[in-house]
Amino acid sequence: MFEITDIQRDYITEILNISMGSAAAVLSEMVGEEVGLSVPEVAFLPRRVAADQFDLNNSAKMSGVTQSVSGAINGDALLMFPEEKTLTIVRILLGDTVPVESLTEMEQEAMCEIGNIILNAIVSSVANLLQKEIVSSLPRFISGTGSEIYAINTGCEDDLVMFLKVGFGLESQSINGHVTLMLNVPSLREFIAHLDEKINAL
Amino acid sequence: MHSDSNALNSITTEPGASDADSLFGKVLDLSEHGLFLVDSARKIVLWNEWMAQASSLARGDVIGRTFNEVFPELAGKRVASVIETALDMRTASLLSRSLNKSLFPLFSANGGGERKRIEQSVIVKPIQCDGRNYCLVQITDVTPMVQREEVLRVLAREAEAAQKAAEEISRFKSEFTSTVSHELRTPLTSIRGSLGLVSSGVMGELPLEVNKLVSIACNNTERLLFLINDILDIDKIESGKMDFVIGPVDLMAVLRQALEANQPYGEQYKIRYVLNQVMAGVAVRADTDRLMQVLNNLLSNAAKFSPEGAEVEINVLQNGAMIRVEVKDFGTGIPLQFQSRIFEKFSQADGSDTRKTGGTGLGLSISKAIMEKMGGGIGFETEEGKGTTFYIDICEMAPA
Repeated sequence: MFEITDIQRDYITEILNISMGSAAAVLSEMVGEEVGLSVPEVAFLPRRVAADQFDLNNSAKMSGVTQSVSGAINGDALLMFPEEKTLTIVRILLGDTVPVESLTEMEQEAMCEIGNIILNAIVSSVANLLQKEIVSSLPRFISGTGSEIYAINTGCEDDLVMFLKVGFGLESQSINGHVTLMLNVPSLREFIAHLDEKINAL
Repeated sequence: MHSDSNALNSITTEPGASDADSLFGKVLDLSEHGLFLVDSARKIVLWNEWMAQASSLARGDVIGRTFNEVFPELAGKRVASVIETALDMRTASLLSRSLNKSLFPLFSANGGGERKRIEQSVIVKPIQCDGRNYCLVQITDVTPMVQREEVLRVLAREAEAAQKAAEEISRFKSEFTSTVSHELRTPLTSIRGSLGLVSSGVMGELPLEVNKLVSIACNNTERLLFLINDILDIDKIESGKMDFVIGPVDLMAVLRQALEANQPYGEQYKIRYVLNQVMAGVAVRADTDRLMQVLNNLLSNAAKFSPEGAEVEINVLQNGAMIRVEVKDFGTGIPLQFQSRIFEKFSQADGSDTRKTGGTGLGLSISKAIMEKMGGGIGFETEEGKGTTFYIDICEMAPA
């Protein structure tokens, strides 16, 4: 298991919450209402544990947005919610109620943009921390079960991921999702090393 | 002064007419998307034909000017800031049509010369070339998608309204059926009582012909009452108002009681119930009265569809984690074309047969609903000309 110290955890949580604050400000301005975003928890977990977060059988459908990152770190960033919550978020933010049980093409595009804003904020705060460039791709809408999304049973289920719980506050309801940065192990080690440099410089 | 080895390079270093003459410039002009490129000084260095058409700004008017000069109305807007981040941080961004209505002032020529604002979806991507950062902005006309979804929205709302209306009608029908059935039951009960007294001879001996007519009236009143009770049961099940008291039930005791109750009925059809295989002391998870109702239904059906003099065989056996009760008749079997409808309401193999066999065509449908409510199941195996075995599966439970 990849353990981080309390100080490391506090430091990451702090910088992520600052970037989430600015992502929330962008979203609030776009939709003309208060949107809250927070990262209450950060952990480094194996993929299979991350896949279990919503459902122990990994059979519940999740959906969300993914983009790949390259440069200083390489991997994928994912923002996932239980499928019905994704629907709630998009419909509240668009202020529209289509009586259709799945997201329309345009609603998926809107969700991609929401995810793009959040993931870009997280990726750029990581890039700032590393003081290196991280190139991110365009967002893509994905849905599936936990095992499908986290590519369980493909031999990489024990790979570590950086796992953030994300709270999405909308119209007095709080929706919980998570962001996962699936990074390769050298990227992770480098990340932690940089983190320590920053902390020691404090 | 600059190498021509790279198309991007040639376009960005020789702004103006020459970029349109290069092969890559021509390809970009053929694109069905709006494309423009911003360099790190925020200057527009590429502007394809689609952009020129939609913005009414010729390439020569735009190249070399900054993004803010070309689109002063977008200063401070999200699109301007994502272009900044693409150049500074190399992040790609998407601006959806739903969250960013009418992003760029772009218009399409609409047949009659009227210009319509283009619905847009925009992506902003960082590009690096020869160590320099650029930002590509690609605009897609999503007007047809917007129109499609508008239609979808209208259709979905209509479908929702239609569904609500249908539910309302169905609720009204079910209430109506239930009310009428209750209202019919009371007078029918008293008719049956009176007819029963008359036919039993309490009111004096009746002439043979009259007695025959009275007993026909009696039997049919009885049938009508059964039908009404079944309709009320179906209604209760469908509206979720049928109460179940689920607990451990002594299966053999209930089965013996059901057999005893059906004995006279069996005699009427000249058949004999034979309890073949038993499981002494077994307890099942059920509601006693409802289980009895299901068993009565299966036993009386078997009698009705058996040839005279035949036996109806009953077996109780373990079926995996469940207890199975089988009721086997040696009748004509269920025709193939009817097998899939057997548990539907008002279904009987042959409409013309109803008179001979009696029954309402609701029994199996009620039995199925009851078994499902109790967490069990019902099914059958049949062979035409040889007979049918109906069975129910019930969860086993520790005795009370």
